[in-house]
Amino acid sequence: MARYFAIRLLRALITIVLVVTFVFVVLRMSGDPALIILGPEAPPEVIAAFRKAWGLDDPIWLQYVNYFGAIAKGELGRSMRDGRPAIELVLERIPATLALTIPALLIKLAIGIPAGIFAALNRGSWIDRAVMIGAVVGFTVPSFVLGLVLVLIFAVQLGWLPSGGQESWKHSILPIATLGIGGAAVLARFTRSAMLEVLGHSYIRTASAKGLSWRTVVLSHVLPNAAIPTVTIVGFMVGSLIAGAVVVESVFSWPGVGRLLVVAVANRDLAVVQCILLLVAATMVTSNMIVDFLYGFLDPRLRSPQAAGAH
Amino acid sequence: MADLSLSEERTAKPAMTWPKIPAAVVIAIIWLVAMLAIGLLADTLAPYGMTKMDLRNRLAPPGHALHWLGTDELGRDVLSRLMFSIRISLLIAFGATAISAVVGTLLGFVAAHFRGLVEQAVLMLADFQASMPFLILALAVLAFFGTSLPLLIGLMGCYGWERYARIARGLAISANKQGYAAAVRQLGATPSRIYLRHILPNIVSTLIVSMTLVFPEVILLESGLSFLGLGVQPPMTSLGNMVGYGRDYVGSAPWIMLAPAVTITLTTLAVSLIGDWLRDRLDPTLDD
Amino acid sequence: MTALVKVDGLVRSYHMRAGMFGRAQQVRAVDGVSFAISRGKTLGLVGESGSGKSTTGRLVLGLENPDAGSVVFDGAAVPVLDTAPWRASRARMQMIFQNPLGALDRLLPIATQLREPLDIHTIGDAASRTARVADLMRRVGLSSEIGQRYPHELSGGQRQRAVLARALTTKPDFLVCDEPVSALDVSIQAQVVNLLTDLQAELDLTMLFISHDLRVVRQVSERVAVMYLGRVVELGDADDLFASPQHPYTSALVSASPTPGRGKAERIVLAGEPPNPAAKPAGCGFHPRCPMVFARCRVEAPLLVEVAPGRSVACHQVGSGSSASAGALH
Repeated sequence: MARYFAIRLLRALITIVLVVTFVFVVLRMSGDPALIILGPEAPPEVIAAFRKAWGLDDPIWLQYVNYFGAIAKGELGRSMRDGRPAIELVLERIPATLALTIPALLIKLAIGIPAGIFAALNRGSWIDRAVMIGAVVGFTVPSFVLGLVLVLIFAVQLGWLPSGGQESWKHSILPIATLGIGGAAVLARFTRSAMLEVLGHSYIRTASAKGLSWRTVVLSHVLPNAAIPTVTIVGFMVGSLIAGAVVVESVFSWPGVGRLLVVAVANRDLAVVQCILLLVAATMVTSNMIVDFLYGFLDPRLRSPQAAGAH
Repeated sequence: MADLSLSEERTAKPAMTWPKIPAAVVIAIIWLVAMLAIGLLADTLAPYGMTKMDLRNRLAPPGHALHWLGTDELGRDVLSRLMFSIRISLLIAFGATAISAVVGTLLGFVAAHFRGLVEQAVLMLADFQASMPFLILALAVLAFFGTSLPLLIGLMGCYGWERYARIARGLAISANKQGYAAAVRQLGATPSRIYLRHILPNIVSTLIVSMTLVFPEVILLESGLSFLGLGVQPPMTSLGNMVGYGRDYVGSAPWIMLAPAVTITLTTLAVSLIGDWLRDRLDPTLDD
Repeated sequence: MTALVKVDGLVRSYHMRAGMFGRAQQVRAVDGVSFAISRGKTLGLVGESGSGKSTTGRLVLGLENPDAGSVVFDGAAVPVLDTAPWRASRARMQMIFQNPLGALDRLLPIATQLREPLDIHTIGDAASRTARVADLMRRVGLSSEIGQRYPHELSGGQRQRAVLARALTTKPDFLVCDEPVSALDVSIQAQVVNLLTDLQAELDLTMLFISHDLRVVRQVSERVAVMYLGRVVELGDADDLFASPQHPYTSALVSASPTPGRGKAERIVLAGEPPNPAAKPAGCGFHPRCPMVFARCRVEAPLLVEVAPGRSVACHQVGSGSSASAGALH
């Protein structure tokens, strides 16, 4: 068990190291960081000071090591636009994003999982077909299209809801709906196939042949086993709470982390981009790790060293 | 013995005949072929130039005698712009899918051939790619490098490679351990001959099924980036650009936004339908 | 008589782990195997699964690199695996696999696959390659229209004939056959074995014939080596060895194999677990199952010593000069 967790922890660390390396490599490949961050008009002495301060004249491996050190200490640079620490800018946007993504996550879970279970248990029924069609549409309609269609219907045509901004709770309804509907469709489809997979196993047929009521079989055998793969996708959804609303926030002019990221990319505000990237990586890795740990508890087979080594 | 071979032949034959294609898949294929034709022939098919303005007919609704799908606020023909957008979006989607299929398959083969540390490195990269939201990585790269069409194709080409790599690695390892690849290797064939002439044709149907899964996702990604204004840059236009541009006229001229939005949705739907059908036909073992 | 293939002290170990951080365990699949095969002759390699006979076959062909020992082919060491010289040497040494369907590429017609060795080693021009394929197909008894068929359209026997033809395409001197007929129907086994012996005589082939089936081995081999847990326990002329097995393990194998003129009563049933290379006993590998075991067998592994001209046995009962032949068992 401890070995299983140790391996997961190691993988999480490796992912973080890879993200930091990715940022470092991309930063170095895109040109002289001094010029990029200070701008081409910066006076030479400022550039020289910057180079010295950031150790840009050091050998590349030393820069790489120092870069890790700086990140470990939370030195993520300052925004080019207003000179404030990037981390501050990002942190103050998080509540707005969570105000969309957490309700949306609840909607996904509340609709997606029951719909998937129901569809699988009534395979071939009209509800199953409706879920499948909904899932395909949810996948093929991009979130910005869904958002704009909702705006067209509920803001433009019906005039019930505002089309963008963050003034009142009413403003959050359409973005939450946009995020929730698409995600619920994906989750429903996933849950359905996880359920069908389990239902197809012989031990389920054995259990029902032994005279257990179908209800008991489903509750005590099918659902726990189908939960294992479903946890993965839910984990990914939890991991993207911070970064999962980039497009939708832009559609609805919602001042969250995603909107900040888009603006920062457009302005090439590298410190902010880097900060968001690391934050997203940390969130993803943490939630992946939690999922892996949950796996360990849900599925005793994974705890055995053979299974862990097989990954 | 002759009898045996005859009976085996008889049982083998029916598996080779192509089964009936469902109507939805036929429609999907027709749609996709139409999109390809429009993309290829946009120059001749489009009634107007991409930036040609008709100032007397600005914001004309669809059904206009001169502009079937209407015009935008500069009087540009939506149908013509849609055709050029289809060209760019498909170019990016096909280019990117091809790049990621080639790179992923190659990395999968490299992992299967060398095993050991090389394999671990490839698998680690694949894990990393699968665990990070690609949109965020793509945005970061665009922030650092700015945007251009080749960069965009290359960037989208980094999407989904890990799926091909995993498939190619797994299938190549099993082929190498036992069977035709091991047999050809001990005939004295070079690795490139083994991988390209023998293993690749044997796994290509599985790879194609994966491509049909990646392709719609690339279209969605590119249109998302372009919608945000960070993908294809004006005067060039893509489907995502058109939606992003039309968003400001959702109230007054929703057709500007709806025409490309419907195109994106139907195209991803068509490829997904074809992919699902191919998956059932070619590869019943592949799930998700 | 000169030996075409000379194998000396081959050792091959594998690392096996229990789990990712489990202690690595060394498993000696092949543990000091030596033999020689004269030109134009066949050595049969007999043993149960886990005896290391297939690994030995792969080592002899250079498909795996040995941890110790050497393989000399026609006076020169077999080149290192996956190098250009190794690939070039494949034109002279070939292998026949157990499963002919798995050994053929299901997407290519038979004729294309038979031609492939000539394409790989760039032998001859297009016309001569086509002619060679037609000649080969005739020799192995495949009608010419089969060349256009795909592997799944052939019967098991036809597939193995095709695999055999492909192995012979470059006119090799040496052939390793690893259980070449055990996947085939019994009725077809005899046909393929006969074909193999005919072709051997015709083409002056040297063969290493690996099988667990004593009947087949006896039919094709001049000499036979019996393997148990990675070691050769007995080596001798085929007729001689089968007629009067010296090692108790050989005796058990021979008695278990149905032979005309021998009653069932004589059958020796081996007690104990089948051999497991991951858990080798100390001393003689066979001692837990040996009916003639005595104290020395449990501590000291016997060496393979020549007990008569052309006959070697690794057994304390035999090597120490005692007259414990197989006959003493009954």
